[in-house]
Amino acid sequence: MKLDDPRIKELIRDNSLFMCLECGKCSGSCPRMLTGKEYSPRLLAHKLIAEPDSESFIENSVWECLTCGLCEERCPSGVQVRRFIMEMRTLLAGTKGLKGYRSHDGALHSWMRLMTSPDLEQDRLDWLGGELKVAQSGPLAFFTGCAPYFDVFFSGINVNTLSIVKDSIRLLNFLDIVPVVLEKERCCGHDLLWTGDRENFETLCRLNYKEFQTAGVEEVVVSCPECYQVLSQFMPEVIPGMKLKVTLLSDLLRREISKGGVTFKPLNRRATYQDPCRLGRTAGSCETPRALIEMIPDLVFKEMKNSGRSAVCCGNNGFINCDAYSKRIQVERLQEAKATRSDLLITACPKCMIHLTCAMRDPFRHGSLSMEIRDLASVLADQIEWSKD
Amino acid sequence: MAQTHLLGIFCNWSPFACLNAAGMAHLKMPSNYGFIRVMCIGRINQALILRAFEYGADGVILLECKDEDCRYGPGPEVGHSNVDRVRKLLHLLGIGQSRLVERSFLAHEKSELVQALWDFSEQVQAMGPNPAKPRLKGESA
Repeated sequence: MKLDDPRIKELIRDNSLFMCLECGKCSGSCPRMLTGKEYSPRLLAHKLIAEPDSESFIENSVWECLTCGLCEERCPSGVQVRRFIMEMRTLLAGTKGLKGYRSHDGALHSWMRLMTSPDLEQDRLDWLGGELKVAQSGPLAFFTGCAPYFDVFFSGINVNTLSIVKDSIRLLNFLDIVPVVLEKERCCGHDLLWTGDRENFETLCRLNYKEFQTAGVEEVVVSCPECYQVLSQFMPEVIPGMKLKVTLLSDLLRREISKGGVTFKPLNRRATYQDPCRLGRTAGSCETPRALIEMIPDLVFKEMKNSGRSAVCCGNNGFINCDAYSKRIQVERLQEAKATRSDLLITACPKCMIHLTCAMRDPFRHGSLSMEIRDLASVLADQIEWSKD
Repeated sequence: MAQTHLLGIFCNWSPFACLNAAGMAHLKMPSNYGFIRVMCIGRINQALILRAFEYGADGVILLECKDEDCRYGPGPEVGHSNVDRVRKLLHLLGIGQSRLVERSFLAHEKSELVQALWDFSEQVQAMGPNPAKPRLKGESA
């Protein structure tokens, strides 16, 4: 495929790349560029429009992007960078094959593609039971995502992403909600979508939607921001007339807590918060997690230098192109967290937890970056209680 | 029942020497294997094993040296930890953890190696095809 292909021209037009003023705010804020990589969203836009023959530059740039959306946040012309990158990747993957170095040799994408088989009888719920109450069918479901898989695959760095799922269900149970947890639920397909594998992503969407319908689910509660983005934004594109309400766990908690009767046990810690890109900038939910954190008595909350909609990425997205610059982004981010003198880093996305935990374990940093990292759901689940009066 | 397709991944040293010797001795081998030779089983990571299943293998057997025989050092131990994790992933996926096994051999154990290949072939044949096998275009569900 030549890069003056009419389909690329169409993508450039649809995602407003012609509106680019070449002001350079995107490149000036790009975490890749700021950590020293020769990578520039502004130059990418320029080359696409003015020099479409610089094929290798354009292709590399398309695969290198973290899709964190900080450039889009700063762009005064409303260029849809993330959407453009995603559609370009789909187009390039379809014609030239999947490019971009896949972290962990593509093992995560492999299991996501394995899940597209309709005959699969997954056995991934053996962590349920005990105090967790779940239902087989009903109107409200909780979407667990890939947590059971992550914990096996990343057992070398001791992350416990399953705790996020368990604590989310604990919170729902506390509010007298017994969610449906689907045995046959599959990966939401986020990483396949963002690495250009649209076909398998759509298969996963259809299979998941069928499961929801079979169980009579009308509303899905999601705690992972990536799953939230996919279910709320991209799934309706695949399934026309989708009848499914998608709710973020933090929104549901805030709504229920505002009804009164709920209080939190004091937590004598100093904490800071990492905004996941899919939650803060994409879903626009910066304020709700902070409001929830601030409800905990005695917890001293300190913002990092870059926070809210300006938060810096955890270094990698969709498990492609993790490199020395990703590591540098992570190290700088952790140094920002350390600078707040906090002893607890709260985040709201399992991927942030995995990537930042990985960077903390760098032996050459001699533990200078390590701090406790916990998900918002886990922090809240440990402190929540009914008020006594 | 349809023939199953298996993948045997051989370490270049003891297991491959066994395979060579078995061939020289005209031992009868199962015909449903594809063989790959690598320099050390430590070269194989979780992703490569998963990819075999993604591409439709019904079973994967890693044939490695004994722990203390590795020419490079930690090869078989790397193999054990990868197999341990991928087996857990296969269990979660519902593909079944017994579709992945590892066996270790000394350089003279040719008949043991051939027996291991036969045993694994029978075991997977009894389990039937990999439920996540990709369908060919036009093949019905």
